[in-house]
Amino acid sequence: MQHPPKSPPAGRTITRDVYETFEHTADLGLRAVAADLDSLFAEAARGLFSIIVENLDQVEPECNVSFHIEGSDPAYLLFDWLNELLVTFDTRHLLFAEFDVHVTDQGVEATAGGEQLDTNRHHLDHEIKAITYHGLSVVRIDNGWQAEVIVDI
Amino acid sequence: MPGARFQGKLEQIDACCWRIPRDYKPGMRVDGLIYADERLIDHIKADQAPEQVANVAFLPGIQGASLAMPDIHWGYGFCIGGVCATDPDEGGVISPGGVGYDINCGVRLMRTNLSEEEVRPRLKVLVDQLYRDIPAGVGRSGKYHFSPDQLRELMRDGVDFLRRRDLATDDDLECTESSGCIDDAQPGYVSDRALQRGTSQCGTVGAGNHFLEVQVVDRVVDSAKAEVMGLQAGGVCVLIHSGSRGLGYQVCDDALRMLREAPAEYGIDLPDRQLVCAPINSPQGQRYLGAMRAAANYAFCNRQLLMWQTREVFERIFSRPWREMQMQLVYDIAHNIAKFEEHQVGEQRKIVCVHRKGATRAFPPGSADIPARYREIGQPVIIPGDMGRASWILAGAPGSMAKTFGTTCHGAGRAMSRTASIKEARGRRIDQELAAKGIIVRGRSWKGLAEEQPKAYKDVDIVVDVVHNAGLSTKVARLRPMGVIKG
Repeated sequence: MQHPPKSPPAGRTITRDVYETFEHTADLGLRAVAADLDSLFAEAARGLFSIIVENLDQVEPECNVSFHIEGSDPAYLLFDWLNELLVTFDTRHLLFAEFDVHVTDQGVEATAGGEQLDTNRHHLDHEIKAITYHGLSVVRIDNGWQAEVIVDI
Repeated sequence: MPGARFQGKLEQIDACCWRIPRDYKPGMRVDGLIYADERLIDHIKADQAPEQVANVAFLPGIQGASLAMPDIHWGYGFCIGGVCATDPDEGGVISPGGVGYDINCGVRLMRTNLSEEEVRPRLKVLVDQLYRDIPAGVGRSGKYHFSPDQLRELMRDGVDFLRRRDLATDDDLECTESSGCIDDAQPGYVSDRALQRGTSQCGTVGAGNHFLEVQVVDRVVDSAKAEVMGLQAGGVCVLIHSGSRGLGYQVCDDALRMLREAPAEYGIDLPDRQLVCAPINSPQGQRYLGAMRAAANYAFCNRQLLMWQTREVFERIFSRPWREMQMQLVYDIAHNIAKFEEHQVGEQRKIVCVHRKGATRAFPPGSADIPARYREIGQPVIIPGDMGRASWILAGAPGSMAKTFGTTCHGAGRAMSRTASIKEARGRRIDQELAAKGIIVRGRSWKGLAEEQPKAYKDVDIVVDVVHNAGLSTKVARLRPMGVIKG
């Protein structure tokens, strides 16, 4: 494993859900931290679209798309969830900014709110070729969860 | 930091080659060999790319050594610049990670009879028109749309499908690796989702490190070989770098999902989930190979349509037919692919599956698998560098067959991560810096250019020195950029 999860210091309380990108030579890493799995998956999705579009705050939730993913391994579920979003963007040119996610023992039930890509308003940033399994992790940390995934640019 | 520095064993064999011995970690079946010189090796050790070379040595049926070219850099699973040959008769595996998401990402070079002096006065108009007419960047669809049935035909027949529609010539086919069609493609194994992603992306550049460049031959090193390729100093060329677009990414993704349980099923122990694989002689292995070849044929067609659109733009700007400007394809070559080839392994001739992940086939003179017109000089090899310095044309040399399963490098290789490159470029205007050097760049954003700035890459001249000195391929001509279209 090339990316040991950077756990926050013991006892740190997660006060808000966050995502950030981290370095990977030719590609980009995405890390999300949240209090529970539902928020973690929502945060990772926001992180994903922040890589695709520079001004994610300009994406309005004009339509909703439902996602249903089966599985039980949290890491594979995260992978499949992000992948579904990526393919939806690639095939339907829909950008998403709001996510309501429920992770259960059986899988993921989610609704993503967004709108049609409008290149006059949305400043596209990276083309993500794919979500990769390299360094993929969803782990418990103090008071919450952390996810890491590397995307192929 | 982009991963920890490699601290493992690395022994110098000669001026151009370093070894990670098989005993570096338990599970390695062969040594790792990295082609590099003193100037590059320290940089190569800066991250975990050598560790990935060692990890690939775990793959069942691997032959010779796990190899890396001098443009090696840290990838996912396989390093970029990695080569691995496996023998199906020894339980050898096929690994989609050894091909990459962008199946048959590759490059093609087209020559013209235009000189730099003729093109320079119209360069800005030309580059602007190329940027307008040829779709590049995220979310851009092309002008060619194919129905699912047409796509299946395209993936089965490769560039010949386009020739039948007057979008390719016989010469174009002849000068494409595998004549623009890898046999035994199985479009039936390509998912509906992949077809959907492929509908309107054939003939689009994409983003990331993909590009279309107008270049000029800066220096000819081997005039006899350059002449056969139609290259002369001061001559204008076009270099195109793209792959199989969303269709290929989806084929890879589908395969990785299909193979999730395969290592357990076949008792294969892997150090990295991204190296997931299956025996070549297994239903899963055959399924991936059939779909991979179909995606590879799509990629040949993508680059063909990009070249065709380039010819149309040149016709418009220079007001004459492209044939009059002798816009001929020099060669089109894959650098993300797995192919079955016959190689000498020890005392035996064997058919092996050569995975080239960011590495280029470089067959020497006399090879039956290269176009007749190049059989005396060796297969043309195209090495894109960066948008500010140079690219190289090489020719395959005998050393590649002896040492690297007929393979050489594929580019300069990244020297800086995307994040580091943006940080380094803060406060600078990459487009203006390049304009001052006479290079017109059109790209989507400051950030996109910052990530792809020349400094983000190793010096391609040094990388090419290594493969030349190692006898893997020999220098023919150096090209420098005049106009750059980035996604």
